[in-house]
Amino acid sequence: MIELDQRIAEQLTEITLNSSLQVRCGSSNAFLVTSSMIEPLINEFQMGGVYISASRPAPELIATFTEIGIPVDSIQFVDCVSSALLGGTENPYTNISYVDSPIMLESILLRTLFHLKQMPTEQNFVILDSVNALAIYNEERMLAEYLHTFINTFRARDVLSAVVTVPDQTPPSVLANLDLYCTDLIDRGQVVIS
Amino acid sequence: MLYSNELLAEVGRWVFVSMLGTPQYTRDRCITGIHGLDEITRGGIPYGATVLVGGTCGSGKTTLTMEFLVHGAQMGEACAYFAATEPSVKLLENIRQYTFFDMEMVDKGLINVFDMDVVYSWLGLTKATFDRDDINSLVKAITDIVNTIGVTRLVIDSVTTLCYKIPNDQLIRDFLFTLGKTLATQGCTSFLVAEITSAGAKAHWSSFGVEEAILDGIMVLGDIDRMGHLLRFLQVVKMRGTDHSRAKYAIELTPMGVMMTPMLKWGVDSD
Repeated sequence: MIELDQRIAEQLTEITLNSSLQVRCGSSNAFLVTSSMIEPLINEFQMGGVYISASRPAPELIATFTEIGIPVDSIQFVDCVSSALLGGTENPYTNISYVDSPIMLESILLRTLFHLKQMPTEQNFVILDSVNALAIYNEERMLAEYLHTFINTFRARDVLSAVVTVPDQTPPSVLANLDLYCTDLIDRGQVVIS
Repeated sequence: MLYSNELLAEVGRWVFVSMLGTPQYTRDRCITGIHGLDEITRGGIPYGATVLVGGTCGSGKTTLTMEFLVHGAQMGEACAYFAATEPSVKLLENIRQYTFFDMEMVDKGLINVFDMDVVYSWLGLTKATFDRDDINSLVKAITDIVNTIGVTRLVIDSVTTLCYKIPNDQLIRDFLFTLGKTLATQGCTSFLVAEITSAGAKAHWSSFGVEEAILDGIMVLGDIDRMGHLLRFLQVVKMRGTDHSRAKYAIELTPMGVMMTPMLKWGVDSD
């Protein structure tokens, strides 16, 4: 059983619904950081939301979240990985929708907006995991443009957005844009960028 | 040279009035209800307009036009869909998967689906090609249906299939012009679907090249190939009677219908 980072939960009590969080983590603690963020959002604040999984297949995330006691019923997953793996979409979960590739950035945004429209919860979040996974497929300036659109779209809709990034592996211009657009920072990165 | 205070005040007043703008005449709009489209057209399609919806295969033409009718039906409007490319039974089976569609709208007569083959049979149009008389009787038949049911939203899917039976450009032009004029007179806002093979910058927006000049609006649906993945887009190229965005919008066919968002500017290389 992993031990969740309680300071993240404390930090989340101070943010507003239209905030955009930059969540910096290291390559070894990414899952711990995202879990520590989701747990209070679901269990404490009774929020629902969309989890965009570009780093790893959603079924794997669901299994692990369930194992550590995070209920996933109020989370809709937009899985950008499994479609590329033949057989990856064969699983029992009904709360996953698939996007063919992380290069379909607009589709990811539209699919997320669609799920948010159907959310029964009043307060919702969107987690983008992660900028680094998107950067594998997308050109730097397109990714910067996308994050600008992404963050502002959800801020305008009073949806809490959290963008997960490993700073030392993120293109500098993308990181600079995140610094500019995000309203809050959860910093658990291994490298501190001044 | 010095100017009098009165003159300066007059100029100031003129500038102020110019900045305020004179009240502009705006046409009544047909609210499509399609996510994003009414914003793109700054409030909806001008009432009574005939719009060409040109698109490549699988780009979402049928879904978009059917959703247009569904939103009309939800507001109590009578709508008509003329199916020329696929039988109505097949069309309805495909469209039932969308949550925006309710078969009750068909049962209640709010959405009326007509097979063009059946219409041709009624009119005795069995020839491979149509002459002017055939075209006139076809326009009259469509108009009669619009009048009888009181149709305010109409779709012909596709006008390309229909125009293949018309032997020359002049007759196609006459047919579309007469049809558009008649429908506008009846207060019917219409979407005429056109099948095109390419929606790129150098492509024609219609199948025969004559439709685009006659009709009031042109909407293009196509795909952008992004590293081997096809991303659907919509672009309003022309819409008489309204200011509108001419940008490309990425679209997604969700169970709730069409959803759109501005296409990323760094990812807009089309076919």
